Amino acid sequence: MESTGKRNGLVQSLRNFDRRWVFLLIGLGTILPIIYPIGFGVSTTPPVQQLYDKIESLTPDDVVMLSFDFGPTTVPENGPMASAILRHCFTRGIKVVVIALYPIGGRALAVQALNEVAPEFPHLRYGIDFVNLGYKDGAQALMKQMGEDIHGVFPTDANGDPLSQLPLMQRVHNYKDISLVVSLATGVIGEWWANLINSQFGVPVAVGCTAVSAPKYYAYLNTGQMIGLLGGLKGASEYERLLLDGHPSVSAPYNDPTRFNAMKGMDVQTIDHSIIILFIVVGNVAYFLSRRRAARV
Amino acid sequence: MFFRLQLPLILTFIAGMIPIVAFFFTSEATIVKAPTDRLEKWMVIVAGFALLLGVINVIQGNLKKIERRGPGWPYAICLLVGLLVPGIFGILSAFSVGPFQGIGLRADGGYTPFAWVTRFFFEPLQATMFSLLAFYIASAAFRAFRVRNLEATILLVAAVLVMIGRIPVGDAISSAVRPGALASFTEWLMDKPNTAAQRGILIGAALGAASLSLRVILGIERSYLGLEKSE
Repeated sequence: MESTGKRNGLVQSLRNFDRRWVFLLIGLGTILPIIYPIGFGVSTTPPVQQLYDKIESLTPDDVVMLSFDFGPTTVPENGPMASAILRHCFTRGIKVVVIALYPIGGRALAVQALNEVAPEFPHLRYGIDFVNLGYKDGAQALMKQMGEDIHGVFPTDANGDPLSQLPLMQRVHNYKDISLVVSLATGVIGEWWANLINSQFGVPVAVGCTAVSAPKYYAYLNTGQMIGLLGGLKGASEYERLLLDGHPSVSAPYNDPTRFNAMKGMDVQTIDHSIIILFIVVGNVAYFLSRRRAARV
Repeated sequence: MFFRLQLPLILTFIAGMIPIVAFFFTSEATIVKAPTDRLEKWMVIVAGFALLLGVINVIQGNLKKIERRGPGWPYAICLLVGLLVPGIFGILSAFSVGPFQGIGLRADGGYTPFAWVTRFFFEPLQATMFSLLAFYIASAAFRAFRVRNLEATILLVAAVLVMIGRIPVGDAISSAVRPGALASFTEWLMDKPNTAAQRGILIGAALGAASLSLRVILGIERSYLGLEKSE
């Protein structure tokens, strides 16, 4: 009788569990691993490996177009992808054309990423090894237009200099001159690169997206409309791992304790996923116990 | 009536058919490709004006709200300040007025006014909004993710497996049985059952978009003209 009463009390307290405790635990699970990194290992999945291998197969004559199609909302996921891909291209001498198609902060984030990564490669020169064309509104129409004439869409770079004055852009006119497009996307723009630009112009496309939007990209990956996919923080951390294993010379920023990277972020994701799973289990235990009690009554 | 109904319908038909026809030709067929290229350039310009229209609409709506002291009107002031301050900074920067020299970093690495507002207001606020999701997802998972029936059970099991498979703990657990087994299973879940469902959704959405486009091009769907039913 006493044990039944205790069980009923437990069920009741689980059902009335104050959600502020959930918030507190998630808050601690997020903050503590950032302050005290754990350093969980990262395993690699095929979609990430495919993108890494593709960039490994490119030569210094090749040009990668890196499109910043995300805003500040998803910087913890997309930001490390941008840094890792820029480092990978720069360390291999691959030329990079940066553009931004996301209206809310895409351009500013592109500038930040270049300001962070480019100084690590002092031998590279703006206009010759990489360019930043800035932001342009018009997404789908603009993306199609670049298939004909990039100079028509972006007459100047982000600094206002005519493209004709930039040596790199003198040989890049449309997608035929681009070896790979990598879109780091918050929303639907990444899909447009796959289903519109890859399908019509044949340029290889890879997407780095948030974890919540990763499932929809698998359909494009399977059809060959995309050659690689970085899904959320996990995808970014896998890419960082591959980059560090393949190119240890770029390890300095990843060893800097003051700088955030996806591998550090995986500590947070691990703790928070575990807390969420724990709550799902606890919630279901409470649900079953209450159902059993209701059946008895 | 011609200018309000027939002319827009004719223009819509022509503008809709040009890209469809051009899709089936290569770039060598300039007589077909040139009009669609021109239309795409116009679209970029129209998109710019649409942005302006959106800004005007937001300003008008929120000014009315403040004027009427409608519910949450102080938030409307915040919204307008948030819209206008970076907007004005951006416009002044475009014309290099006074300290507003560009929208990136200065040559000495310091922030221009626009970059400062972006870096220290806009970006943290946006990131904070999105970060709140983590707290609500955890709370919702605890309260609503229940094994109520077979479908819910399948969804829950798949979700939990993907969540575990996406973190290093999953690797540690599966290494006791077979190293990498859980990660491989998670990838299979995403690659096969998930892709099958996603394709269904994509094909359905594409068919819906195509049928709606056809209705607009052929003049069956006319609600975008803003006419009354009797017209």
